[in-house]
Amino acid sequence: MELIETLLSGQLLFATLVTGAMYALVAVGLNLVYGTMRLLNVAHGDTLILGAFTSFLLIESLHLSPFVAAPLAALLGATFGYALYRGVFRGLLTRLGGQTVALESNSLLLFFGLSIVLQNILALQFSPATQSVQALDFIWHWGEVSMTGNRLWALGCASLVCAVIALVLKFSAHGLALRALIEHRDAAQVVGADIDRLQAASFIVGYGTAALAGALVATLEPFSPFSGFPFTIAAFIVVILGGLGRISAGIGCAFLLAAIETYGVALTSTNLRSVLLYGVFVAALVLFPRGLWARKAAK
Amino acid sequence: MKSHFSVRRRLLVLTGLVLTGFVSSAFSQTVAKPATASAPVTAAAVKPVRIGFSIAQTGFMAEAAVSQINAYELWKDQVNARGGLMVEGKRRKVEFVKYDDQSKPEQSVRVYEKLINDDKVDLLFAPFGTQFHMAVAPVFEKYKFPVVGNTAASVVLKQVKPGYIWFATSAMPDRMMVDLVAFMKQNGVKSAAIISNVLPFTKELRNFLEPELKKAGITVTVSSEYPPDIKDMTPLLSKVKKAKPDAILVLSYPMESVMYSRQARELGVNAPFHFLSLGPSDAFYGKAVGKSGNGLITMGHWSPRADWKGSQAFLDDYRAKFKDSPDYLNSALSWMSAQIMEQAVAKAGLDRQKIKEVIAKDTFDTINGPVRFEGVQNVTTPVAFLQLQANGLQLVWPSSIATAQFQPKLNWDK
Repeated sequence: MELIETLLSGQLLFATLVTGAMYALVAVGLNLVYGTMRLLNVAHGDTLILGAFTSFLLIESLHLSPFVAAPLAALLGATFGYALYRGVFRGLLTRLGGQTVALESNSLLLFFGLSIVLQNILALQFSPATQSVQALDFIWHWGEVSMTGNRLWALGCASLVCAVIALVLKFSAHGLALRALIEHRDAAQVVGADIDRLQAASFIVGYGTAALAGALVATLEPFSPFSGFPFTIAAFIVVILGGLGRISAGIGCAFLLAAIETYGVALTSTNLRSVLLYGVFVAALVLFPRGLWARKAAK
Repeated sequence: MKSHFSVRRRLLVLTGLVLTGFVSSAFSQTVAKPATASAPVTAAAVKPVRIGFSIAQTGFMAEAAVSQINAYELWKDQVNARGGLMVEGKRRKVEFVKYDDQSKPEQSVRVYEKLINDDKVDLLFAPFGTQFHMAVAPVFEKYKFPVVGNTAASVVLKQVKPGYIWFATSAMPDRMMVDLVAFMKQNGVKSAAIISNVLPFTKELRNFLEPELKKAGITVTVSSEYPPDIKDMTPLLSKVKKAKPDAILVLSYPMESVMYSRQARELGVNAPFHFLSLGPSDAFYGKAVGKSGNGLITMGHWSPRADWKGSQAFLDDYRAKFKDSPDYLNSALSWMSAQIMEQAVAKAGLDRQKIKEVIAKDTFDTINGPVRFEGVQNVTTPVAFLQLQANGLQLVWPSSIATAQFQPKLNWDK
């Protein structure tokens, strides 16, 4: 039966895993920054594109391997994030920390401006033209499933990084402190968590993962200075579905969304992709306003 | 008081952001500032010829428009190297007055009105894209300012009142699909899979393609559409693979053409007659897909031919200046439109009515061979198709201008 055949297709499973891993990686950075500091980073997709251009430069001009270019791009992103934190946001957070509404609106505008500046600096530097990186395009066959090298690399790298982040958050002392900060800022301060270092860490990891995702995207699809916005949107959907600040739930939601997208489209029609994605998103918000995995609020 | 303090801070931040917004949009505007005289002023008071146009330098069309701006700039360099544009027996240097239309047709309209009324330019060049040509055609009609259009292809163009705009392309969807089906029949195609983007141009292609296939008796085994923001074509491609058609017709825009190619390659989806409407004619496609794209047929009516004067030189000069190949559709068309204007001005000077009469009647010598207009359409350049082959993009249809034989696409790794 066609339904069973579709659900059991190895090729579709591979596509779901790759898409899911990429959604998860793109969302994890946004989730961290929003979760810890309530900053609405609408420039997230543009940071991703910055990572993509970095990887493009490293691979095309310096002929580095994509395995080297990706961590380097992540490093650049992390540095940029730290600089942004120290230069702009630390002051803002010190003054407004805890005043969520004020923080959100101010940060929204700041990041919006950052987004425009990033896009146009990249366009001036590289021209608005679409760029692409050809790398790792050997095809590996496993049974009836064909896998292009760059997609395998994206799957592996993104999954690994997300897993590491989730594990660190769950099992390490620093992770615990971060989760405390996400859950209850004032209480975390009272019990002695070093807010400044945790916030810096969020920025570093948040921007680093965005740039890493960009480096992976560069080998997967063509990109341009102005193509960052769809990634921002995708990240926001995943973050909101999983619950703001809930990193592991976000990762789970990323794969769920990818599954809906891939299998849903396979069973219906490609035209319904947006309907399915946003339909599920809206339904989930209506039924589970605090995210699919939200715990009941502590009394 | 605390609240007073934070209100002031907030105002400061807001001002800062507004300024950032202005600065960054000013950033993009500086790129589009009208070019000041770059050539040294020659002894006699020979005024330069100022040519104005709007072009998408920011926004979603910006990437594609690069192929047009480059062609215009290269043309200007070469004309000025020759001493300038020939106007009434004297050579005058060319200066561009260009503004960013931010990928917004309404902005393009404002730009052209400004160019005509405020900047008072001598000549106008066309913007990038069908929508933009359509938006500004009434402006040219209103001010009786002749402009040779280039990067516009739609049957809607036929509705434009002939007068002050002409369209140089032969890639009109209705004629193209008739020829495509004839091409397929010639190669024994009996079944076809069509997947298409829902955006206007590819939708138009599909609307003309389906009846032609039916008339020719070619069975359509898969017929699907996809949204422009598609990220993964695996389900779609699996369907096509199962159907094993003789021809795969992908009516794509450049933006997803690379993704299609990579995913079709990954899944091993292929047919001997493999058509990808937009994408392969541009340099970035070759860089992104490489040799595996060889064998794909695409839209285009230009490739260097010995009997088309200047065609090889254009290719070589473009590559030398921009370290990239031109887009065989957009760059060639932009160059052709500049050539036509150059020849018209050499004959008629800068008088707009005279230029209009010359363009409407004469036959022009371009890198794509002779071009003559009837009404708004180019009636001499035939509908044609290009194929990506080992030695570059070749014209494979019609046989009257073909530069190479059609080769069936055997797989994705040649």
